[in-house]
Amino acid sequence: MKLNYFAFSLATSFALAFAFSVASLNSAQADETCQSPYMSPITGQEEYVYVWTLGMEGVGDASDKLVTIDTRPDSDTYGKVINSLSVGDRHEAHHSGLSEDRRFLWAGGLDDSKIFIFDIASDPSKPTLSKTIDSFVKDTGGAVGPHTFYALPGRMLITALSNDRDHGGKTALVEYTNDGEFISTQWMPDASDMKGALGKENADGYNYDVRVLPRKNVMLTSAFTGWSNYMMDFGKMLADGEAMKRFGQTVTLWDLHARTPKKVFKVPGAPLEIRWARQDNHNWAFTTTALTSKIWLIYEDDSGEWQAKEVADIGVPADIPLPVDISISADDTKLWVNSFLDGTTRLFDISDPHNPKMVFEKKIGTQVNMVSQSWDGKRLYYSSSLLANWDKKGEDNQQYVKLYTWDGTALNQEFEVDFVKEGLGRAHQMRFGAASLYTSG
Amino acid sequence: MVTYPRSASIVLAAILWTVICIWPPHFVAADGSTEDFDQRALARVATPPLGLPKVFIPGNNPLTAAKIALGRKLFFDRRLSHNRTMSCGMCHIPEQGFTNNEVATPIGVRGRSLRRNAPTSYNIAYLESMFHDARDTSLETQIFGPLLAREEMANPSIGFVFATIEAAPDYEDLFETAFDEPANAHNLGLALASYERTILSANSPFDQWKYGGDESAVSAQVKLGFSLFTGKAGCAACHLIGDESALFTDHALHNTGIGYNSDTVIRASEEPVQVEIAPGIVIPLARKTVTSVGLPRLRDLGRMEVTHDTSDLFLFKTPILRNVALSAPYMHDGSLRTLEEVVRFYDQGGHPNPGLDPLVQTLKLGDNGITALVAFLESLTGDNVAELEADGRSTEIGN
Ligand code: HEC
Ligand code: HEC
Repeated sequence: MKLNYFAFSLATSFALAFAFSVASLNSAQADETCQSPYMSPITGQEEYVYVWTLGMEGVGDASDKLVTIDTRPDSDTYGKVINSLSVGDRHEAHHSGLSEDRRFLWAGGLDDSKIFIFDIASDPSKPTLSKTIDSFVKDTGGAVGPHTFYALPGRMLITALSNDRDHGGKTALVEYTNDGEFISTQWMPDASDMKGALGKENADGYNYDVRVLPRKNVMLTSAFTGWSNYMMDFGKMLADGEAMKRFGQTVTLWDLHARTPKKVFKVPGAPLEIRWARQDNHNWAFTTTALTSKIWLIYEDDSGEWQAKEVADIGVPADIPLPVDISISADDTKLWVNSFLDGTTRLFDISDPHNPKMVFEKKIGTQVNMVSQSWDGKRLYYSSSLLANWDKKGEDNQQYVKLYTWDGTALNQEFEVDFVKEGLGRAHQMRFGAASLYTSG
Repeated sequence: MVTYPRSASIVLAAILWTVICIWPPHFVAADGSTEDFDQRALARVATPPLGLPKVFIPGNNPLTAAKIALGRKLFFDRRLSHNRTMSCGMCHIPEQGFTNNEVATPIGVRGRSLRRNAPTSYNIAYLESMFHDARDTSLETQIFGPLLAREEMANPSIGFVFATIEAAPDYEDLFETAFDEPANAHNLGLALASYERTILSANSPFDQWKYGGDESAVSAQVKLGFSLFTGKAGCAACHLIGDESALFTDHALHNTGIGYNSDTVIRASEEPVQVEIAPGIVIPLARKTVTSVGLPRLRDLGRMEVTHDTSDLFLFKTPILRNVALSAPYMHDGSLRTLEEVVRFYDQGGHPNPGLDPLVQTLKLGDNGITALVAFLESLTGDNVAELEADGRSTEIGN
């Protein structure tokens, strides 16, 4: 397996080198929602939003589904659900990611580790299921809970969250080809095997998100928690002192090309989403910690060393607002931060990334999780669900996708889809699509 | 400073072993054979480690290597749950004392909450009844509980389990070899019980001292702890110690107040929840925030749920205390996180309630006594922990 992997990386190093140069030619380094720099972004109007939705018991067919919302402003069905493709059963639908050519949407199930690959190119208004991978745990030698799907040239980089030995947080970074063939498993560095990385005193072996900065040949991963916690009733977990000890406390810096970890930073309180700045002279990324409610900056200092430091509070950390998704604007001046428990979105001015300043806040709902913004920063889509067993209970369990427009001072609601009323379930991750991507021009 | 030469070397061996065989590669023989482990398991049951009595083998289930291997494979097969995520071994985890150290009470299929802590699988060959409320009678029949419970492995029927096994090519002939017949509701229990019976662990520092006559096997502190355990602290009235062997259980059920406290006091608490948001940083979180994202705590009346006899309210089974240092958190609800918490709980006389067992009384042991009792409990860890972990991992996890 090791041999294969090296042979493969040798063969692809040329492809990668080529892709690096393409990426730097094209000054846009990431897409509309902070996606892989190897994908072309939708810089104009998104036409469809694909919502990877968790099935909810008692709602519709109670199964996970890919929901397509029409977002073409001049369409008769603007702001409406135009398609919904059920995959049968609940898998703990969570994150999804587009392949580098934007033809396929990979969507994972954190519970049973199934991966669904949807064809969104043949008919962007009506995705179809092209392939299901149900051998993820076996392929990877025991990784559980495929989370982030991040496009690299010809392949998909996938973070896992757990493992099949104890359902704890020790886990791996995995690669598959775009055709869905397994390539490699890289177990996260931990004290028993640092794989050459510095920061043994910090390492926990956990994983969550992955993002790359090819220009600097670096990659960052963050750290959440294992299956036992992310599948557990949230209230039960908060009251369980043992369970609360099992959250990730690290961000890991990697050599992107070699896929070897270089340094493990201590970032306490479960750092989740990672977002790189886009401008060519901006060598920094943000992450936020779910439990400690802080914004952290990972940056290259004047001497060329990578550092991690806490730069701002999100709301009142003592209330545990639970920051979740974040989104950076295309010009690197603004960062949207959602927090789940208070249902609030906050805007930070990050013109000085070492000193983020909150400039705006608004309650979006009883609970809010994901945010996806358009390239021009004028449209923000919000969704409600965090995890099936973490979502609020009873009346507070609002499930929605809402579009807001941002005029520089206020968020104005444009439309809302009620995912319970529509018989869909719990709305999670949103990805943009456009038919124009696939027509030559 | 007191030293424990033997337990230190056990710990060292365990650490070494962990370093050698934890995160990948999985510890599986190249040809997938577990034969060496099966043979050693047979020998272990034939001659149990020092400090354990003879193992009773039911007449209808003589122990064989084939059954042990098959039972072990079934125990670690995640495919045996409805959505192929849970095996017995996901709640009874070898490296975590055959329980789950990372949660007070485990969760099952789809993250459903269990109200009770998973008991260890060490030395369960000696159990006279199964579960915290003693509602089942043998290892052979116990398996249907977890296989069918909606919040554990959630199989929709027992036939569904056999369909899963039949469809798995790696089970071809295994039941036929072990039982001369295909998998059925009877032999499934025979196989699982056969493996479970081999998870025997003893020859601990305590055993080497008490039953081996090695005075240097334990420290003076452990000996003090033992004298408290069997004397002033009254522990041995329920956690029995025999002249030739010890299981540390009377196989009976008692009210220590844990059940009462869990079901009434904790469940009704309006106090903020102390949440550790990062190592060492604890924040009091308003109860209403916690309940907004959580289902109500499940009720648990203990033995009374089985017998419907009101005098059985909050009775729970006395657990075997061997390897107890490895199986935190403690008690049927996992509410006590360390052995020191357990001993302090007894020291204050349990949780007072109308049915409190008269054997549970305020002890006033003092810090020295408490430390000595904890040291004694820690001296009960067997010398073959690494072997039993490796034995469990000698089979490939079924995915
Ligand atoms: C979802 C977690 C979970 C799974 C999966 C699970 N168990 Fe358990 N096990 C428990 C809990 C919790 C208890 C105690 C339940 C009670 O007392 O009501 C228990 C009790 C037991 C007991 C009784 C031990 C004693 O001290 O009384 C045995 C034996 C056992 N399990 C074996 C198994 C086997 C065999 C399987 C697989 C077929 C299995 N378990 C699957 C959690 C689990
Ligand atoms: C009246 C009988 C009785 C007495 C006396 C008693 N215990 Fe227990 N012990 C129990 C029962 C019953 C439980 C299980 C309680 C539960 O699950 O809620 C238990 C549980 C425990 C446990 C937790 C084991 C586990 O795996 O969770 C430890 C450790 C323990 N006892 C140690 C002691 C010590 C030390 C003493 C003396 C200070 C003592 N016990 C006295 C009956 C007794």
